[in-house]
Amino acid sequence: MSNKATGSNGVADKPQALVTYENETIALADGESLLDGLTRAGHSIPSGCRVGVCQACTMVMSEGEPSSICQKGLSAPQKALSYILSCQCKPDRPVTISRLSAASQQTQGKILSKDWLNESVLRLRIKADLNYRAGQYVTLWQGEELARSYSLASVPTEDDFLELHIKHVPDGAFSPTLCNELQAGDTIGIQGPLGKCFYTASPDQPLLLVGVGVGLSPLMGILKDALYKGHSGPIALIVGATKASNFYLQQALGGLAKDYEQLTVQFIAQSVVRAIEQPTEEPIDQLNSSITLEGDLYSFCRSNYPDLKGYRVFLCGAESFVTKMRKQCFLSGAGMSDISADSFISFQ
Amino acid sequence: MSLFEDIGGEAAVDAAVDIFYRKVLADDRVSEFFDTTDMEAQHAKQKAFLTMAFGGPNTYSGKDLREAHKTMALDDGHFDAVAEDLVATLEELSVPQESIDQIVGILGSVKDVVLNR
Repeated sequence: MSNKATGSNGVADKPQALVTYENETIALADGESLLDGLTRAGHSIPSGCRVGVCQACTMVMSEGEPSSICQKGLSAPQKALSYILSCQCKPDRPVTISRLSAASQQTQGKILSKDWLNESVLRLRIKADLNYRAGQYVTLWQGEELARSYSLASVPTEDDFLELHIKHVPDGAFSPTLCNELQAGDTIGIQGPLGKCFYTASPDQPLLLVGVGVGLSPLMGILKDALYKGHSGPIALIVGATKASNFYLQQALGGLAKDYEQLTVQFIAQSVVRAIEQPTEEPIDQLNSSITLEGDLYSFCRSNYPDLKGYRVFLCGAESFVTKMRKQCFLSGAGMSDISADSFISFQ
Repeated sequence: MSLFEDIGGEAAVDAAVDIFYRKVLADDRVSEFFDTTDMEAQHAKQKAFLTMAFGGPNTYSGKDLREAHKTMALDDGHFDAVAEDLVATLEELSVPQESIDQIVGILGSVKDVVLNR
């Protein structure tokens, strides 16, 4: 490969634009974008509009200082994660670039403790050296083939452990081992952090956090992060579940609501998540009487928060919930870039 | 000044995209084409579309536009619905009539390509 970086006008005192990508260093031509340089060197990089609009060519700058031009249009969380649009990025000094999927690295964690938050949610605390934002998630590994992602409920500035809330799925491939076999002191592979659903907001902006099931876990991290960072605007946390006995952390949240007057917490038992959560064998009349009509969480949000203009919104839970609630919040006036979501994808 | 600079460039696209996307989602004539699980990706497409319609920098070739739309079985009614939603968006943002007319002209110039004629 020829080195085109030294151009025609002599570059003795100019730092060279070198790009390191997958252990290979490529010299960019004068004015050449990362996308063009990597493509010229034979790499297949996804791209679309090439004018910084479609964001198909987003990559991560793991070493180097991203300019505002190459992050234009990205959300605050994406910027904080050093995401860049490779078509817009024309660095004037050496940088290291990676693909989004290869940006996270696997490490080993040591299990500190296990305890049950309710009949089906296990709290797992792990000691691991991980630089993360509250609300992100990690992928846990059992061996080299089996992996599942779990959200972080801990806050890095407060907790010296990672806290994960594991939904126990008795016939699942992953959670029974976590819940029944692994013990304190055992090690486990951790990949991450991943995800861009975490606290970024103006301190006085109203916040709406809505989650179903263990979607509460990342919201707990985001909520505490906001409170500890001195968020003064009103914060509403709404938690939905199939039945009241599926709720957890009610006491801890009640305590927070008492300590922070800007915070309100509401639990809504509903039936709409039945189809997407674990199926229950119990007949309807044995379920908690607080179950209300299907769709109640959505109508609750619609009637209590009819105008979300100016709100910062966080949504966590099953994919179908996030999809429906995101649309509802957007149509209620929340800006698209003010809605962050973490969808839980079910594995087969 | 170009039309794109005239109406405020990328800031105008940013101001318009949420309003426009809400309008097409609420428009029964075309909402099915915009109602997707990946709203962020759809939102990015709307930004690219508005950048083009506002006369901004874009690399949309006629072939891209044709390929992207040809399997959707679109007719004049669909095209007009989107154009109306865009005009309503521009009016809501108090864009001058002269600029709106220019934008409608740009839309008209790609109509046959979008409808695969």
